[in-house]
Amino acid sequence: MFKDLNPILHSQLRLAVISLLITVKEAEFTYLREKTNATAGNLSVQINKLKEAGYIDVIKSFKDNYPQTICKITPLGVQAFEEYVKDLQAYLNIKK
Amino acid sequence: MEKEQSLTNEQSLELITSMISRAKNDYYDTGISALLWGVVIIFCCLATYANQYLQWPILRWIWCLVIVAVVPQIIISMREGRRRGFKTHESNMIGGIWFSYGIAIFVFSYIDSYLNIRHDVPIYLTLFGIPTFATGYGRRFRPMTLGGLACWVLAIVTLFVPDYYTLFLMASGALLAWFIPGLLLRRCYLKAKRQHV
Repeated sequence: MFKDLNPILHSQLRLAVISLLITVKEAEFTYLREKTNATAGNLSVQINKLKEAGYIDVIKSFKDNYPQTICKITPLGVQAFEEYVKDLQAYLNIKK
Repeated sequence: MEKEQSLTNEQSLELITSMISRAKNDYYDTGISALLWGVVIIFCCLATYANQYLQWPILRWIWCLVIVAVVPQIIISMREGRRRGFKTHESNMIGGIWFSYGIAIFVFSYIDSYLNIRHDVPIYLTLFGIPTFATGYGRRFRPMTLGGLACWVLAIVTLFVPDYYTLFLMASGALLAWFIPGLLLRRCYLKAKRQHV
C-alpha cells in the first residue's frame, strides 16, 4: 500500500520553491520569483501556504529602504521534502 | 507557473531536478575579488623586487596597497551578496575562512615588521595557500585547489633560492592561486550572464 503524496508539496509552484530552498541556506523573494517564473501574487500565496504548514520561515525586513522578504526552509520542511521524494521514488519504482 | 497545477509523479521528479540544478548553476563567483588580490600582490612583489635596484623611497610603502585594496574588497563583497539574492550553506564558512586569513596576515605582518624577520616569504606563501586551498576544495573548483597547493610547494622552493628571487616566487603564488583562477571564474561568470540575457 502506498502513502498519499504530501498535498502541500504536490503542487508545481510549492514544490519548485521547496526544491530551491533545500539547495540554499536562504533566498530572497525576488530570487524565487526569478527562478520559478511565477507572478509575485501567486508566489506570495504559495509561500504563505508553505509557511502555515511550518515548512518554511519567512523573514520580512527593510534593506536600503526597500522591503525585503527572505525565505528559509525549516527542519520540518526538510523532513517533509525527504519523505515526499522517498514516496515519489516508491511510486516510480513500482511503475517500472 | 501561473496556476496551481497538479503534477504527475514523473513531472514532480523532473521539477525537483530542474530546480536543484538551476540553484546549483547560480553558485558562480564573479572572479573580481580573486583578480583584485592577484593583481595587487603581483604588482607589490614586482615593485619591491624592482626597488632593490631603483631604491625609490616611495616604493618602500608599496605594501600599503594591500590595506587600500581592502576597501574595494568590502564594496565588491557587499555588491555581490546583494545581487545574488540567496545565501548558500557554505558561504558563511568560506567567508569566515577568508576573514580569519585576513586577520592572520595582518597580525603576521605586524610581527614581521616588529621582529624584522628576514625570510618571511615562505610564511606568507604558506598562509596564502590555506584559504585558497580550502575555497577550491570546498567549492570543488580545481584551479584554486591547485593554486593553494602551488603556494605550499613554492613556500618550500623559496628555501633553496637566493633571497632576491623569492619575491618572484611570491608573485607566482599570487598568479597561480588568485589571478589565473580569477580569470577562469570571470570567464564562467560572463558566459553564464550572457546565457541569462
